Amino acid sequence: MALTQATRKKLVTLALVGPAGLWLGLFLVLPFIAMVVFSFGRRAPEGGYQAAFTFEQFANLGSRAAAFANTLMLAPVGALACLLIAYPVAYYLAVKAAPRHRLLLVSLVVVPFWTSLLVRTYAWMYLLGARGIPHLLELIGIENVRLINTPMAVLLGIVYGYLPLMIMPIYVSLEKLDRRLLEASADLGAKPVSTFFGITLPLSLPGVMTGLALVTILLLGEYLIPQLLGGGKVFFIGNALVDLFLQSRNWPFGSAIAVTLVVVVVIVLTIAMRIAWRFAGTRQVDLV
Amino acid sequence: MRALVTSVYVFLYTPIALIVLFSFNAGRNASEFTGFSTEWYGKALSNAFLMDALQNSLVVGLVSATLATLFGTMAALGLERVGPRMRAIFDALFAAAIVVPGVVIGIATLVALVQVFGIANGALAAIWPGDAPPKLALGFGSIIAAHGMFTMALVTMIVKARIASLGRDIVEASSDLYATPMTTFWQIVLPQILPSVLAGFLLAFTFSFDDFIIAFFVAGSKTTLPIYVFASIRRGVTPEINAIASMVLVASLILILSARLLMRDGRNTATT
Amino acid sequence: MSKKHLENAPITASQLTDEFMRLKKGSVSRRHFLGVTGLGLATAVLARFPGAQNAAAYAAGDLGTQMSIATWPNYHDPKTFENFQAATGVAVEVNVFGSNEEMLAKIQAGASGWSLFVPTNYTISTYQKLGLIEELDLSMIPNFSQESENPRFTDQGKIDGKTYALPKNWGTTGFSVNTSKIKTPMTSWKDFFEIAQTEADGRAMVHDYQLTTIGSALVALGYDFNSIKADELAKAEELLIQVKPHLFAINSDYQPSMRSTDAWMTMCWTNDGAQLNRDMPEIAYILGKDGGEIWTDYYAIPKDAPNKAAGYALLNYLMDPANAVKEHIANGAPTTDSRVIALLPAEVTGNKIVYPDEAALTPLEFGAAVTLTDPGRAELMARFKSA
Repeated sequence: MALTQATRKKLVTLALVGPAGLWLGLFLVLPFIAMVVFSFGRRAPEGGYQAAFTFEQFANLGSRAAAFANTLMLAPVGALACLLIAYPVAYYLAVKAAPRHRLLLVSLVVVPFWTSLLVRTYAWMYLLGARGIPHLLELIGIENVRLINTPMAVLLGIVYGYLPLMIMPIYVSLEKLDRRLLEASADLGAKPVSTFFGITLPLSLPGVMTGLALVTILLLGEYLIPQLLGGGKVFFIGNALVDLFLQSRNWPFGSAIAVTLVVVVVIVLTIAMRIAWRFAGTRQVDLV
Repeated sequence: MRALVTSVYVFLYTPIALIVLFSFNAGRNASEFTGFSTEWYGKALSNAFLMDALQNSLVVGLVSATLATLFGTMAALGLERVGPRMRAIFDALFAAAIVVPGVVIGIATLVALVQVFGIANGALAAIWPGDAPPKLALGFGSIIAAHGMFTMALVTMIVKARIASLGRDIVEASSDLYATPMTTFWQIVLPQILPSVLAGFLLAFTFSFDDFIIAFFVAGSKTTLPIYVFASIRRGVTPEINAIASMVLVASLILILSARLLMRDGRNTATT
Repeated sequence: MSKKHLENAPITASQLTDEFMRLKKGSVSRRHFLGVTGLGLATAVLARFPGAQNAAAYAAGDLGTQMSIATWPNYHDPKTFENFQAATGVAVEVNVFGSNEEMLAKIQAGASGWSLFVPTNYTISTYQKLGLIEELDLSMIPNFSQESENPRFTDQGKIDGKTYALPKNWGTTGFSVNTSKIKTPMTSWKDFFEIAQTEADGRAMVHDYQLTTIGSALVALGYDFNSIKADELAKAEELLIQVKPHLFAINSDYQPSMRSTDAWMTMCWTNDGAQLNRDMPEIAYILGKDGGEIWTDYYAIPKDAPNKAAGYALLNYLMDPANAVKEHIANGAPTTDSRVIALLPAEVTGNKIVYPDEAALTPLEFGAAVTLTDPGRAELMARFKSA
């Protein structure tokens, strides 16, 4: 076997990236192409897919306007609500907490994220249902409060589910912050408030943007939380999709909505990146 | 600020405490505590379907995470060696894999596989000599493929970031000292990237173990633990579910804490 | 059961259809109907089929150790499956669905994994047409007795003379009302949709599938339950979308919410209505006097069932009147089998939720097969949910 050095090197490279390329090709690119093809098809009489070339699925997108609007509103609002709670916690962990407790406290933030979101959301179904918090409110004289199956319940579930994912990137960016900067600022007579707005906040912006983008993108495809805490009334695009495949069996329309959802995600991501570049002054926004 | 942070921890842990509490409920209702008992742990462990679902989730998680870690790490290393054009294509694909919502991955995989299986099964039936041609169907294979596709992208991202922080000088130094590429890899590169590879594996496994929406579409007749739990929520949760959730919680707690301790040790030895 | 009924000879199918039409028109009493059709013949029939309750019929063939069944929430006595496992060694996994549409989607999307499932009357012809269910081998189900069944409820399981599905039980779709929370008396679907927007604001539930949710809205507007006319559906959509902001949830599993009093009123099947009323007497079950659904749920075996032998064994086990009667007492849905009626305690046969007067049944209709596949109804439901 007389392989030249260059051929050998190429073969090794191919062996290294080949499997990954094949996997992505078969289970990312091919399915996406299939979905695009389906989105131009027609619903078969009994449901499912019938080959055709028509734009009627895309023309019908307007009938899901409410689901799109719901998602496009609750996703960023949910992400912002997460941010409002996450920032102080991340700040505390990175700056205020005693170093010997830090590892434990940070781990405690991560642990819920590593346990089943399904089970944790179920616990909220109980807490928000009539036997949970409304029952406690009844004991102090507030009757007939309804919490479950409201947009507020879904928002709460969102904040609960995604809080750890928001805390971590902010914590990481704050942890990297050079403490000497803060000390210098204080030494130069800056008030804590102006130190925070002048130094801490700007330097933690990459983490904030990462968290916001990450949570918003995940929320755009959310299904479980609105399903369990929204009672089928608070509808996300994810729910509309599941409905189209598992109830009305309209695969072409479902595919058209899925394709549109991907486009929406790409747009949101692009906007997030633009904002990140402008405010954080960096092109390094890690998503993972 | 302390009060706020404390209340966030309370917020995070109240539902979890509730799950654990009700796993010790004597009654069969998961919403009214009637007395202390550990019987549901026994029931959960002897429930064939629950154990099946747990086993399925473990198998899918381990296989998909192992493959994802192997191929993802290989890709991260290989991408150092390819041209900028190829690199950009791979970067875009990996980014797409991470950014595309799970519900879309599930649907697209379902749509594609149902078509492919339809054609393949027709062809198989035509050329098969025997009476009962093998039939391709959704199941373990499709869940592992869909989970692994996504988690491989995660692993590649994490390992690539680590390689980027390593710098090339260390590898070049090794080659300068006439080490073979293999020696360089095993003695220099691998130990350096190992923590990130392990972190990637852990993340991949957890994602797969916890995923509901992708498996919901592509699992066929197989039941994973999240699918089982989702179905139980519909037919009325018994404390069995709480018991299994508590056991999984304790297991992942041990796993995470030991992993974090390991990584801290790794980082300490790396920096000191 | 009165002595008079025992003297009735079995009647032919055409006679039965006549009797049934008369019952639907309201010109015949339910007691007369039950008597004539043989539903009242329980003891006599039981005497005629001495082997029917023999549980040893499934020794033949390897049944494996596991099977799964797809069915509805709160629809079986959990003990049934425990006993079946004890008798045969086969553990039964119970998959619960919220609608026939969902079951069909699951089967259409590839392997379902079920060896037995419980489709409703209006779906059988579609399953058969799509080749998703197989003709039943009645020799594998010796416990089933055609003679003791009421053809009113078995007809839709047969297509071109072949049996594709056997009846589990029949029932109605009405609504349950927590009368300690809602004081206004209600008698119709018109009332249901009005109260849902006023006294029960934020506390009413509707089903998560097209047939009854759209059907009941159509009925409330004075249209046909099974209508697929575009203009009538448009009116129904208008009503549903107007009601939606006032609803508590769109969900076919309403028992937990009714029990916790999160919800005060819900669209409801007989069996759930009976179970709720049994445990919480303040929850009344009401049939719309303006219309609504009467239905039969069937057992069928999917063509790709992974464990057909066990599917047949369980079906045969469930057709045994001794087991069916326990199921009946646990879930509260009325039986189609006169042998089971004979074994029921008087408080069940006398329960007006389970066995309503024929006058209450007269306005009700069976769901039509066309509603299952009609794209207009499917899309209306999906639009309503995502509105």
